[in-house]
Amino acid sequence: MILIAIVIGCILGAVIGIYAPMVPYTYSGYLAIAIIAALDSVFGGIAATLNKNFDLKIFVTGFFGNAILSILLTYLGQKLDVDIYLAAIVVFVGRMFNNLAIIRRYYLNVWEKRRAKKVEETNEKVQ
Amino acid sequence: MYKKQIAITLGVMCLALTACIIIQLKTVSNSNTTISQSLKENSLRDEVLKWKEKYDSVYEELTNSTANLEKVRKQATQNDTTSMAKQQEITLNNMLLGLTEVTGPGLEITLADNNTGLNKDGSEVLDISSQIVHNDDLLQVINALNNAGAEAISINGQRVIQTSSITCEGNIIKINGQRISSPFKIKAIGSPGLLSGSLNMIGGYLYYMKEDGVNVETKQSESIIVEAYNGVISYKYIKLKK
Repeated sequence: MILIAIVIGCILGAVIGIYAPMVPYTYSGYLAIAIIAALDSVFGGIAATLNKNFDLKIFVTGFFGNAILSILLTYLGQKLDVDIYLAAIVVFVGRMFNNLAIIRRYYLNVWEKRRAKKVEETNEKVQ
Repeated sequence: MYKKQIAITLGVMCLALTACIIIQLKTVSNSNTTISQSLKENSLRDEVLKWKEKYDSVYEELTNSTANLEKVRKQATQNDTTSMAKQQEITLNNMLLGLTEVTGPGLEITLADNNTGLNKDGSEVLDISSQIVHNDDLLQVINALNNAGAEAISINGQRVIQTSSITCEGNIIKINGQRISSPFKIKAIGSPGLLSGSLNMIGGYLYYMKEDGVNVETKQSESIIVEAYNGVISYKYIKLKK
């Protein structure tokens, strides 16, 4: 059910994106930062699901809140002539890697446990 | 129920995310920024793109305003014979200045670089530069056209007016501050036979260009549309003598 919704959402989003008008070049930098923030939220959500402490409210507010906040900070940075967007990228991408590491470790654990079980079973059969 | 809610919110979020990503991809691929080593160059390119955008929007405003002005002028002069005559005068003057699109019989010339590196008879060319269209060539052609009585000339959509300059900027040519490149399509309004004859006759400029191996094509036509000048004519120094 959830998977189907995600797939449908992705396909519809792609179709809308293809037919949507282009963003003026001036604002495409902001959109890029928002996308990075949103992607960070998505990976955070997946990691949280694996840790079994996923909360929809936190996820949704993080998704939109991070995106909007990063846009605002980038705007502020441009006004102050400080490259705040660099900090945003470092933070978000760093967190993305952290979350990816958590996801990788989780599946590595699952795989190792399964293998250990199989080895045990074959050992029992041999005995 | 709870699961359904989660599914819908996740679906909506995925929709927003993919839509944003696709739009961003489209924008980036359209503004053809190549990643460069130096940050300076990147920011300069950014600047250029931003100014271009600004220019485009302002230019659109200008065309809208001109159309509006035309409309207002027409309304104001509807029931007044003297202002009607003035209006006609303005239209005529704009036409002579090159500010309006004009049409009439004339000649279409296409000049294109010859990239084969071969002469007409198939032998290898000694100087490749002689087979490329230069700004001098365009100037000579325009001069010859004017000499033959051309009344309106445009090159690749750029109207040649009294302040037009044609300069060489590396591998492109600049006219009216706009960059153009080969093939060059020159449109001239005038007597088709006269224009064609003066350029194509033995000893005419196009004759020599053809001999050099440049791709030259001419076409006489009974109706040619020559584009309007799309810049602003401004004068700083000239004044009427009292």
